[in-house]
Amino acid sequence: MLPPQVIIALAAGVAIVGLLLFGAGALAGQTVGRLVLLVGLVALPLLVSAANISYGVHQSSTTAFCLSCHEMQRQGMSLFVDNKQALAAVHYQNRLVDRDVACYSCHKDYAMFGDVKAKLNGLRHVWAHYVAGVPKKIALYQPYPNSNCLHCHDDGRPFVEAEAHRPVLGALYAGSTSCLSCHQIAHDMVKVDADQFWQAR
Amino acid sequence: MTNALAMTKKIRRAAIVGGLGLCVQLGAAFHWTPATFIISAVVGVPLVLAGGGLFIAAAWRNMKEKGAV
Repeated sequence: MLPPQVIIALAAGVAIVGLLLFGAGALAGQTVGRLVLLVGLVALPLLVSAANISYGVHQSSTTAFCLSCHEMQRQGMSLFVDNKQALAAVHYQNRLVDRDVACYSCHKDYAMFGDVKAKLNGLRHVWAHYVAGVPKKIALYQPYPNSNCLHCHDDGRPFVEAEAHRPVLGALYAGSTSCLSCHQIAHDMVKVDADQFWQAR
Repeated sequence: MTNALAMTKKIRRAAIVGGLGLCVQLGAAFHWTPATFIISAVVGVPLVLAGGGLFIAAAWRNMKEKGAV
């Protein structure tokens, strides 16, 4: 359920449109009435709809939203595995990403239309969920781009000064060597299946 | 008189279409899932736009008939 303020705004919009439906005859005959109709039937519903969709788009980036499809719940559980090498778990448990938008932080591109692309991919997920069927093995649509990692790690001291990074820094920036060629475990599904989780005390 | 009644009818039609769009969005807001979000955006918002469009079209035609534009 969306928060009460969104529901109240929508309900108020419905009530106002309902009132105008019955008062249309009387209002249409007066100049002020026609203005009220213009605001109540055009401006207000558009404003409420824009607010609702804007909130919905924001909400669709949350971890809870991603994990609301049961197909993704094992991926969600991998955020809690006891493995300091698993990228998803490390980022989530060490609060390297905002936990409320953990999936989105790593799985959206940071290019100009990264948000749009992520939302379009979300539509593909919904299509797969309801119509086309979910593939047996959940995989990325394309190889994971280094730019997503570098968006945060780029000039970070631990990244730049890491001995292992120095010989391949150029290749990492150029994208010719994938970060995942060394950091191979993104989601540790083996430990998910083995029920090996880390719990903060 | 007939013209005023026709205008009222058109406004009511616009209100019904727009109100329906808001109702779809309200329903989706109560049960918020990826599917209802898409229904809200793909069905609810276009209905609201259609309601607004119907109202503006009716008002424009009415003003033209009266020679106001």
